[in-house]
Amino acid sequence: MIRHRLCLALAAVLTLVLAGCGGGGSSSSGPTEIAVWHGYQDTEGEVFKGLIDQYNKAHPDVKVKELYSSNDLVLQKVLTAVRGGSAPDVAYMFGSWSPNIAQIPQVVDMAPVVKNADWQWDDFYPAERQAATVGDKVVGVPALVDNLAIVYNKKLFADAGIAPPNPNWTWDDFRSAAAKLTDPSKGQYGWLIPADGSEDTVWHYIPMLWEAGGDILSPDNKKAVFNSEAGVKALTVLQQMAVNDKSLYLDTTNENGPKLMNSGKVGMLVTGPWDLSQLPDIDYDVQVMPTFAGSSGGHQTIAGPDNWVVFNNGDKKKQAAIDFVKWLSAPEQVKAFSLGTGDLPIRESVGNDQAVLNELNQKVPGTAAFVQNLNNVKKVRPTVEQYPDISEALGQAIVAVMLGKEQPAAALNTAAQTADAKLAEK
Amino acid sequence: MVIAENTKAPPRPAPVPPRRRWRPWGADGVTGWALVTPAVVLIGIFGLLPVLMSLQLSFQHSDLLTPETPWVGFDNYRKMADDPVFLEAIKHTIIYTALFVPGTMLVGLLVAAAMNRSVRFISVYRTAAYITMAVSTISQGIIFLWLTDRDYGLVNAALNGVGVPSQPFLASPSQAIYVIVAMTIWGWTGFSVIVYLAALQGVPAELHEAAAIDGAKPFTRFRTITVPLLGPANLFLLVWLTINALQLFDEVYATTRGGPLRATTVIVYYLWDQAFVHFDAGYAAAMAYALFVVILLVTAVQFRLARRYAHHP
Repeated sequence: MIRHRLCLALAAVLTLVLAGCGGGGSSSSGPTEIAVWHGYQDTEGEVFKGLIDQYNKAHPDVKVKELYSSNDLVLQKVLTAVRGGSAPDVAYMFGSWSPNIAQIPQVVDMAPVVKNADWQWDDFYPAERQAATVGDKVVGVPALVDNLAIVYNKKLFADAGIAPPNPNWTWDDFRSAAAKLTDPSKGQYGWLIPADGSEDTVWHYIPMLWEAGGDILSPDNKKAVFNSEAGVKALTVLQQMAVNDKSLYLDTTNENGPKLMNSGKVGMLVTGPWDLSQLPDIDYDVQVMPTFAGSSGGHQTIAGPDNWVVFNNGDKKKQAAIDFVKWLSAPEQVKAFSLGTGDLPIRESVGNDQAVLNELNQKVPGTAAFVQNLNNVKKVRPTVEQYPDISEALGQAIVAVMLGKEQPAAALNTAAQTADAKLAEK
Repeated sequence: MVIAENTKAPPRPAPVPPRRRWRPWGADGVTGWALVTPAVVLIGIFGLLPVLMSLQLSFQHSDLLTPETPWVGFDNYRKMADDPVFLEAIKHTIIYTALFVPGTMLVGLLVAAAMNRSVRFISVYRTAAYITMAVSTISQGIIFLWLTDRDYGLVNAALNGVGVPSQPFLASPSQAIYVIVAMTIWGWTGFSVIVYLAALQGVPAELHEAAAIDGAKPFTRFRTITVPLLGPANLFLLVWLTINALQLFDEVYATTRGGPLRATTVIVYYLWDQAFVHFDAGYAAAMAYALFVVILLVTAVQFRLARRYAHHP
């Protein structure tokens, strides 16, 4: 365990700069090879490879090569490769990176391409399109979409003698149910929230902010407005549950949610469809997020759409990459991938297909509810370059309030000041 | 006594063979270069070059995305002084180092002293003491996360058993850094045990025998004979552990990610965060260089002090 942490850190920072050598020349004859970097493993990986094989067979002039690359690290790897002149042709990238990705010169602007009617661009859910759009650029094509809803343990509700969540629930109902589900002697909590202060924490708060009628930034993206009355109202719910009721388990590791849910220690989880397959031991169901009584915000949720980003490695490869991505995101493949993996369909035409919903629900119960919840995605996070800074400031405020260190209004004001300073910087 | 008799007539030193002039391009030189070239090339490309390029980077603005990296002079270095989070990170790093280094040395010395004897199964105990070094940092982090969990952890179950209420540990801004200190002491004890054990076995048995005959009790012998002779081991551990403590990263990444509320944000974690989460690579490189200079100074001071106080046999 003799570690050279500094060297590692330095080397990591510097490989990016260093990678000035190397380069991907392409040979002239034979099929056009394109490299696709993705983060699909297990079932997803097999289904994805199956689709690629199918494409390669049907298109002898193109050879699509896939390479697994952890999603969390793909941005660092892509940046290194771009600097080294060996960028992939297509890479799976988180939607929250879009504003930063838009600055990479090698990224192909898809705006003129997806205009063509045969792309059926409007068939993608609005949140997906917005997350792929930065200014007048389209930096990628939707690859995946999900959203947050309540996943609850039916047995714990029955044991506590409470009616399960329904669409008419307000956050007050949610809070009182969570309090009744909490039993310190059994180590049982009503709700669990990721509390490391990262975007994982923040994106649980944002739909509450929207539902209360608030927003993150002003319409021109110049000023933070989350420290509004609505922002305070939403954060106060978290404060009351964490500090007063102690019905909210603060998961500082961001790892415990599905484990504790599956072992019956947590009554409700606000999470996405990806956690459903990790709950084999409990009988659960899915319900939309509660609303704030009297607010015009209604039901909302937040979508985390991710994209296929195309890089320009010469006209021939670029065209091959665009063709592949178009095929991959066409309704037929979207349906096949969704049914094969249980992931939500990224196109409305597929998501509205009752036969698809039934089959999805049979494979992983609750998935259909998440597909329908896509209709509650009314807003997206602002696509500004400073979003990581804003998210961090907001995350610190939320955690400080939940730990009982600060009051909602004061914490949000401090965060808004930080965010405003960052927004003014660039 | 015996030694004194021998020193009466010091033996003449053997004549030193005349040193050959080093000829870099002679036959030996070529062989030498051939042997060291692979190492020189690898270290040069993967070690020195990045170090030099990060020095350059620290004077530039780089977001890692766009190819333009304009020169900004000392801006990145000036920014550090006005960055409250960086100043907080320095404070956390100092607290951590001040506890971790002496803690690891003390625990290591006690364990090594306990193992420096011939009892049955001693090699089993020695292996057990060292085995923490073989546990990967990530596994270690996950183990401690569960051990210290507020609601479901073994440590709290034990505390409750003796009537102490559950503690939040890593979930608390005021406790987290100390849990990381304890966790890393646990992880590094094996290393200091090995170093101390080797040093303890180098302490001449005659000295202990002579002192015992003169009536010195075991603890007095340990304090007045063993401890002074451990000087070089102390120096080595002090320098090595300090350098590692100032560069703490993995354990924080694996457990708290700098939180809660930045309570465990140490310098290297913060610079990683700036480079790869906030895309400010120039600033991160400047922080790395500032840390490098600090480590250099601290190490130099430690060597100075050690030369004055430590006994070299």
